[in-house]
Amino acid sequence: MTNGQTDTEVRHIEQEAAPSRFARGWHCIGLEREFLDGKPHTVTGFGRKLVVWADSSGAIKVLDGYCRHMGGDLSQGTIKGDEVACPFHDWRWGGDGRCKQIPYSRRVPLRARTQAWPTLVQDGMVFVWNDPEGKAPIPEQAIPRVDGGPGTPGWTDWAWYQTRVDTNCREIIDNMVDMAHFFYVHHAFPTYFKNTFEGHTATQLQKGVNRDDMRPAEVAIGAPKRLGNTSVATYHGPSFMIDDLIYHYEHGDVRTVLINCHYPVDENSFVLQYGISVERPESPEDAAAAERLADKMVQTVRIGFEQDVDIWKNKTRIDNPLLCEEDGPVYQLRRWYEQFYVDVADIRPEMTDRFEFELDTTRPNEAWQREVDENVARRAAEAAEAATSDELVSQTQGA
Amino acid sequence: MTVRTDNRLGDAPMRPVACRSCGTTVLARKSSWAQTTVQWSAEAVAACTSWDPGCSIRGELPVCHPLRDSIARAVVDGDLPVIDDGR
Repeated sequence: MTNGQTDTEVRHIEQEAAPSRFARGWHCIGLEREFLDGKPHTVTGFGRKLVVWADSSGAIKVLDGYCRHMGGDLSQGTIKGDEVACPFHDWRWGGDGRCKQIPYSRRVPLRARTQAWPTLVQDGMVFVWNDPEGKAPIPEQAIPRVDGGPGTPGWTDWAWYQTRVDTNCREIIDNMVDMAHFFYVHHAFPTYFKNTFEGHTATQLQKGVNRDDMRPAEVAIGAPKRLGNTSVATYHGPSFMIDDLIYHYEHGDVRTVLINCHYPVDENSFVLQYGISVERPESPEDAAAAERLADKMVQTVRIGFEQDVDIWKNKTRIDNPLLCEEDGPVYQLRRWYEQFYVDVADIRPEMTDRFEFELDTTRPNEAWQREVDENVARRAAEAAEAATSDELVSQTQGA
Repeated sequence: MTVRTDNRLGDAPMRPVACRSCGTTVLARKSSWAQTTVQWSAEAVAACTSWDPGCSIRGELPVCHPLRDSIARAVVDGDLPVIDDGR
């Protein structure tokens, strides 16, 4: 091929349909406190309808949402004792998936068994194990306890937020390695960025400084001025991230834990959830401030995800991103992510072998600092101009 | 869902680098002095004696310092090319 041909060749975006199966692994479906009101709850996820309730001991149970009798919606039923009762004919289903009782019948027919989902309640969150192969949870993939957070004395309760996003969940996974979008989309300024993938975990270490030209949204909600942050964020499986996030403020560091998790609704949408817990300072008056700070922070995070959503709802799915050397390991992250979409027997070593990628932020930081300086200078000039015209107006009025 | 190959590896592939501490071999690539890609194998992970697990709440990632030094040494010795050497 000659150079001339290469120069005129157009690169095409390639895209396969989003996978029709859903990732194997633990998925957080919400906070435990949401499910303890004595009522069955609907969760639409994994292309299904699920019913979630707490039995008489407060244990969370999850079944397929439709009654195997005549297809009634169990999540519209009631809790009777430990069981969920169908609103259609009062069939009673236990958390183990078995029909326990049909009040108007002498006995329960054979094979009166529906799909029960393994559950885990930990650190105030409820998880379900999704597995297209229908096997038991993999012990090595248990969700670790949060270091800090509401389970630890001196930490605030989760400030929690949930929203539905209409795109395939691979988009949010890609963020894990996408350093540059943190500047352009989130108005952050990453100065250090490294990823490590191994087994079922994927980690991002990010250090950043505050931008002098930005954060109007944060200023609008009265969030305090940040100098920078250090964040170590790890996906434990396909959907649940724990981010140990330290904010550096003028008055000192604040330790926080950010949860970023999702579950797929179907192949074209997912429910995004995030929560923040903040370590309270020692003095009581500061402790109240910590609760407010947690709320401010979750608002800040919400703004961040809204910025992502604006991009996602207009972008296209792309299987062959064209990367420059200052981009992160998008392909290797997707290779890691693929392990959750194949049968366990088909997981290849390359999907789980340890992989490290340390970005060089020198060139991006030079370019970004210039842009920040230009923005600051332009705003100063605009402010000066506005002041001058105000002066002219007042002189004219005074004349 | 087939994962394609990183377009950047077409121009400059990963190259083997042996750790000067334990002798295990990984694949490495450097696009600049500060950028490093390391692909481990299960054998390399098993052979490594210096993996430091780090501490996420202190902002530290796991790392093998002797391997890091070995990769830097491979660059200095001319065994591992740096794609953009700063010129």
